[in-house]
Amino acid sequence: MSGVWIYADKYEQVFELLTAGRGLADSLGTKLTALVSGDNDTAQDLIARGADEVLLFPPLAEDQPVQDYVPLMADEAREADPDIFLIAASLKGKEMGARIAARLDTALCSECITMNIDDKGKLQMERLMYGGSAIQTVSINSRPQMATIPPRAYEPAQVIDSRQGSVRTLKKPEPSGMKVIDRKGKAQSSGDISAARVIVCAGRGLEKQEDLDLVRELAGVLGAEVACTRPISEEKHWMTEESCIGLSAKEVKPALYLGIGVSGQIQHLVGIREAGIICAVNSDENAPIFESADYGITGDLYKIVPALIEEFKK
Amino acid sequence: MPNIVCCFKWVVDEAYIKPSSSGKIDLEWAEYKLSDYDRNAIEEAVRLQEIYGGGVTAVTVASSDATKGIKDALSRGPEKAYFINDDQFENLEPSQTSAILAQVIADQIDYDVIICGEGSSDMYSQQVGPRLAEKLGIPCIAFVNQLSIEDKQIIAERKTDEGMEVISAPMPVLVTVLPDINNPRVPGLKDTLAASKKPVINIELEDLASEYKRLLIDKGLKAASIERNCTHFGAGPEDIKAFVEAIRKTGVIDRG
Ligand SMILES: Cc1cc2nc3c(=O)[nH]c(=O)nc-3n(C[C@H](O)[C@H](O)[C@H](O)COP(=O)(O)OP(=O)(O)OC[C@H]3O[C@@H](n4cnc5c(N)ncnc54)[C@H](O)[C@@H]3O)c2cc1C
Ligand SMILES: Nc1ncnc2c1ncn2[C@@H]1O[C@H](COP(=O)(O)O)[C@@H](O)[C@H]1O
Repeated sequence: MSGVWIYADKYEQVFELLTAGRGLADSLGTKLTALVSGDNDTAQDLIARGADEVLLFPPLAEDQPVQDYVPLMADEAREADPDIFLIAASLKGKEMGARIAARLDTALCSECITMNIDDKGKLQMERLMYGGSAIQTVSINSRPQMATIPPRAYEPAQVIDSRQGSVRTLKKPEPSGMKVIDRKGKAQSSGDISAARVIVCAGRGLEKQEDLDLVRELAGVLGAEVACTRPISEEKHWMTEESCIGLSAKEVKPALYLGIGVSGQIQHLVGIREAGIICAVNSDENAPIFESADYGITGDLYKIVPALIEEFKK
Repeated sequence: MPNIVCCFKWVVDEAYIKPSSSGKIDLEWAEYKLSDYDRNAIEEAVRLQEIYGGGVTAVTVASSDATKGIKDALSRGPEKAYFINDDQFENLEPSQTSAILAQVIADQIDYDVIICGEGSSDMYSQQVGPRLAEKLGIPCIAFVNQLSIEDKQIIAERKTDEGMEVISAPMPVLVTVLPDINNPRVPGLKDTLAASKKPVINIELEDLASEYKRLLIDKGLKAASIERNCTHFGAGPEDIKAFVEAIRKTGVIDRG
């Protein structure tokens, strides 16, 4: 059998994967199947946006984690034997993808950055290695060929009227013994760094949380969003992970990036590869960020940033 | 009292990775290190043992060159290590690594909790942990930043894209941990000396029953360097002026 399958636990990414999956299904001359939790309206919407078939998950019990769908998804995929199975690289999706791949005894390309079909109809995929200092090209010799796809890699699929498709509701997943005993949403961060034209990024060169005000003031003068490195969001929790740039966080494409007390390890730099101008302030003249910057100031940020604020105000 | 297993990987230190003139990756001069987040995995295993008792076993699949890695891992507190090694175990893919780990752990190690890093520093596939859980047929809780044990249940707080979830699961269970779960200790001289006296169980390819087929075909590796021509400025007032002027000239900021 054949087909392209997609799954995402969030709607924005379902739409993005519909675009990716439709492209692949068309070039293989096969059908596109979307797996999603929702009702018949959801299914019709996905069909209008490019799916040929929708497999609907029935709702979970309040304390059931979404990962309880894993055995069901693997069983369905084993039965239908699709060529390709794409899963959105959300935190949940990455775990579910790996587990489904293990159940199907197949390989999975994690956080695939490009996909092409070669002349034999096989997927050629690229992914980052060594923290982002290398790009590896892979293909998969087992079925289905699986990949997780980072968010925003594809435009969301639009509604096309008069598309037809089929809908099938799957059976309720068995409880796994894992229970969700509490859920908390996260604090909304103020701005969206993925769309920002100018970004000022705070690194561990800052001594204390209050010093972020200095970075914010500079950002204010530049009309910039404030972003951060992983230690600032994940270790110190001074900012939310929404503001974090890099391999395990967001990729950004501002016209101007200005790193303040950022060392420039590859896992961070890989997130600003596409920035127009990269600037850095760092007290260590050998900081790796200077190798990847266009303009750099060697100096103490506590002296430099106030001076920059003054100068940019002029 | 829980038997805790932590899985670690001995990896190329990416700071040593430099593209050769042909754009290929040159690993000849590379140093190795304990994969960054596996330090958190080991630390968490030892931390749980300090609270709940039990034992900590560190496990790795590697080529036989990784003996330094075993010592490094043991200096961080586990009392013994399984060194599953063969010269063919150099560039394993996640399906192979997890199948090998699953076989040895299922056959030879008592376990209640298995701890992996969220992802390895070289591959960062974030697959080995969840795949290992499936192979062992146990629950998996990924991206955990807080862990405790209550009445034979694991209680784990994990990160999700929406915020966080607290999960309870029966043991045995596998968790993958985020870097903010703890602050890994820095081993001292005494720990390093103690590590050399700890038992290491050596397992080789011929001790394993199955074959581990490669499914992910490597079609090549190219450098992705982000080098730019940096114009350097000092910290004096003239430098600040010149720096700001240089940025203004590029036209990327609206003011000025
Ligand atoms: C698998 C993996 C994934 C990762 N993913 C990410 C990711 O997505 N994003 C990310 O950011 N990191 C990521 N990291 C971590 C990354 O390797 C670095 O550790 C991190 O980016 C360093 O952050 P930093 O530059 O803020 O801190 P540091 O490396 O500690 O650098 C601080 C810098 O500040 C400078 N400094 C200190 N005082 C002053 C002063 N007074 N004035 C000026 N400069 C000063 C220092 O010279 C130093 O260069 C990842 C790591 C791994 C292993
Ligand atoms: N060769 C290995 N030996 C033991 N554990 C490993 C190995 N490779 C990966 N792991 C574990 O699996 C985690 C995720 O690795 P990866 O799937 O490569 O990102 C690591 O943080 C380790 O805990």
